[in-house]
Amino acid sequence: MRLRLSYDDRSAAILVFPVLAVLLVVAAYPILYSFWVSLHDIVLTRPLRRPFVWFENYERMLGDARFHTAVLRTTVYTVVTVTVTTVLAVGVALFLNESFRGNKLLNALLLLPWATPSIVNGLMWKWIYDPTYGLMNALLVKLGLLDSYRAWLGDPDLTLFLISNAAIWKQMPLAALLLLVTMKAIPDDLYRAAKVDGATVFQRFVHVTLPALKPGLMLVLVYETMISIRHFDLFLIMTQGGPGDASYTLSWLIYVETFRSLRFGTGAALSYLLAMLTFLLSWLVIRALGERNA
Amino acid sequence: MARRLMLALFSALFVLYVAGPVLWLLSSSLQMESEITAVPPNWLPPHPGLHNFSAIFSAGDSAEYVNRGIAGFLPSGAANLLPSLYNSLQVGLWVAALNLVFSLTAAYAIAVIDFKGRRATLYTVLATRVIPDIALVVPMFLVIRNLGLINSLGALVVTYLAVTVPFTIFILISYFEGIPRDLYRASRIDGCGHWGALRHVYLPLSLPALVAALMFAFLTSWNEFLFALVLTQNVAAQTLPIIIAGFVMDFTTSFSFVNAAGVIAILPPVLLAVIFQRYIVSGLTAGAVKG
Repeated sequence: MRLRLSYDDRSAAILVFPVLAVLLVVAAYPILYSFWVSLHDIVLTRPLRRPFVWFENYERMLGDARFHTAVLRTTVYTVVTVTVTTVLAVGVALFLNESFRGNKLLNALLLLPWATPSIVNGLMWKWIYDPTYGLMNALLVKLGLLDSYRAWLGDPDLTLFLISNAAIWKQMPLAALLLLVTMKAIPDDLYRAAKVDGATVFQRFVHVTLPALKPGLMLVLVYETMISIRHFDLFLIMTQGGPGDASYTLSWLIYVETFRSLRFGTGAALSYLLAMLTFLLSWLVIRALGERNA
Repeated sequence: MARRLMLALFSALFVLYVAGPVLWLLSSSLQMESEITAVPPNWLPPHPGLHNFSAIFSAGDSAEYVNRGIAGFLPSGAANLLPSLYNSLQVGLWVAALNLVFSLTAAYAIAVIDFKGRRATLYTVLATRVIPDIALVVPMFLVIRNLGLINSLGALVVTYLAVTVPFTIFILISYFEGIPRDLYRASRIDGCGHWGALRHVYLPLSLPALVAALMFAFLTSWNEFLFALVLTQNVAAQTLPIIIAGFVMDFTTSFSFVNAAGVIAILPPVLLAVIFQRYIVSGLTAGAVKG
């Protein structure tokens, strides 16, 4: 039997092939291979001994105290980061949706945090939080909000939120831009009709803006959740999981387990757990928002 | 009147929040080590100068740095900064160029041609972006290591290509779908094949989307940290973020130097973002309205 492909099918196959090849080699194959690795006890310091252990790596990690800490820290960090980013982004989008002089300039400025490399973002905030020479101490003391200098990142109760603050600074602009585009698409008639009906500014926001904003909000929530839950760069550069285990998140645990302890089996198992958690959470967010929509 | 006052107040807060941290970084980078370690800090550089930057660009010769009487410690990796800058530039340009070719052809096929497996292809492409980087980095390290390609710029380019291509395909598809179908039909009637239609109709009409895709690919590779950290081991392939992260984690490094390095890393992406602002915004938000 000869497979007969039309001109369209043949052209499409040629045009799509390069991308699929790259994604197969650099995404699909590694993720499958990773599953295989996660079923083995692979320690790089002992390269010749790599027994097949079924799901032992998963069991061990699920029972590991570090894993429990990491899940807790990741959850707190993600919830705080996503919530604050979204609320702030809604505010900024509402503000930039007004027409006033200088609006375009502020819009352009919004790209500054977005374009900042995360490593520079990390060093910048670390410098701001610096215990002796940092801006934060100086500013708060000058404003009379603080009596004496503090080692901000050294405080286990604050570390996670301070890292979160740096992440929010960088992530808010894209969220605001996405919401702004959604807002601009709302027909003016809706506002005019609401005004005629005597709705206040707040009522107009709740009954006109928010419902129309739902698709944009959903996109932002899912996207920010996926970014935050896997975030790594700031944790490495700002605290390395510390002080103590105050910023010991899942991605940090994966990094330490794999590239410092060189236990690739458990590292791969953890990666899978994180990937599944990501899927689960984005699915929950989509469902929760979808239901209220219905 | 009240409205104008409120808007002015919000504008000021907005500028302070968005630009404040970067301005502080910039101000610190223009001060000497003795100046930035003053308590309370100098908000503006007392004697602004580019000494930290010239130290970076002449870091091969550290004796000169000390002789000029600048108090501060030059990190041992300082000489690696320029090569890493060059590596970052090289990787970014390659990724941007290859990304453009790959995503242009794939997006055309998915958006325009009605072929078997069209939906499956689209979903495969988008699904790869859902996998967290940190989950990919462990197997990627093993694969690249087994191929003997640790510390090669090529490995970084291919990795970043896979990271950026799904999103640029997405941008281009939403753009292509907005191009009138009649133009495509006309070109086919005039005897163009798919290659001809792509070259003569879609390529010239989608310039804004192409610019957005190029910028996005370049900026992503320029800023990427995790893969570069794991897949490179020495200055032959290390990119700028890796070298800078090394400075930050080395406690002996002077802050004036680190801040200057940070400013150097921030400049290219910020300049590109400002110049191509319109394209980037429309690209980033492509498809957001459709929901």
